[in-house]
Amino acid sequence: MHERSLVKSLLRQVDAIRRQHDANHVSEVRVEVGPLSGVEPLLLAAAFEQLAAESAVAGAKLVIDEVALLADCRPCGREFELGNFDFRCPTCRGNVRVTRGDELLLVSVSL
Amino acid sequence: MTTLTKTITIRRDLAAEAKADAAVVRERLARRGTLVVNMLSSPGAGKTTLLEATARHLAGRHTMAVLVGDLETDRDAQRLSPLVPTAQLTTGGACHLELPLVCRGLAALGDPHVDFLFIENVGNLVCPASHDLAEHLRVVLISTAEGDDKPGKYPKMFRTSHVMVVTKLDLLPHVPFSIEAVAEDARRIQPDLAMFEVSALDGAGIEAWCAYLKQSRVKQFGRYL
Repeated sequence: MHERSLVKSLLRQVDAIRRQHDANHVSEVRVEVGPLSGVEPLLLAAAFEQLAAESAVAGAKLVIDEVALLADCRPCGREFELGNFDFRCPTCRGNVRVTRGDELLLVSVSL
Repeated sequence: MTTLTKTITIRRDLAAEAKADAAVVRERLARRGTLVVNMLSSPGAGKTTLLEATARHLAGRHTMAVLVGDLETDRDAQRLSPLVPTAQLTTGGACHLELPLVCRGLAALGDPHVDFLFIENVGNLVCPASHDLAEHLRVVLISTAEGDDKPGKYPKMFRTSHVMVVTKLDLLPHVPFSIEAVAEDARRIQPDLAMFEVSALDGAGIEAWCAYLKQSRVKQFGRYL
């Protein structure tokens, strides 16, 4: 639903990095999304295609890495992939800490 | 001419700046003893009715203010403003509130020093889950009329909430809704979720809910009180 505003923010941040590095052109933007990032990859790609074309990073390709939801359980010291949005530790049934897959992460920018 | 491609590794949460901004506001309000409570639900679950009952219950003992988010109209603000200072935040079509709107609402109320600041979010179980409004407590409401299978459908909302309030308990004899089923579904997603059952119209459960709010305030920043 808010992929367009996310892409606007992404383009702003990418353009700031481009300027920091005195580059004229951005060839690739790599992001990571997970099941709890609140972002739909298809909508993100469509919004990027539309909005990048009219921005300072026109021509850049968006690469979306879709990652699984990872969590760890501190008492048990285990790290595992969460399937089915069940956030209980398979061993002790306690609450887990999500370590990956709950953000929209800007991974890298190729200039 | 050949061009060399250079890849800069960033690995930064796109929302990092917004989260940092929210943390600053949260800390500022904590220092004056204001517990910020973000109230979320689907449309019609009873956020405004619960806030009316809460305002009546806390009256004379605690101060509070409400920021009400809606796409259009000031109907909710009209209901609440006879009871407590209220500012209507009209999003003009946007499906959720964001921090700048909350700050504008606070300013419209004259930046009040209150014990509780409630933010009634736009009725929506999806997008509001992704926006930190500087709250100390995130509360998700689910009414008995909605069905007990909702938590699993909206995992981010229930994962990021601290409390679930089941509303419209008075309808329980008339609808196929199981308190046990909704609790199990929600706690699979958020095992630490606190839970209350209320009927704001007849006052059932309001005292326990308000006691929890007071305890949360003391627990959150007792050192400032």
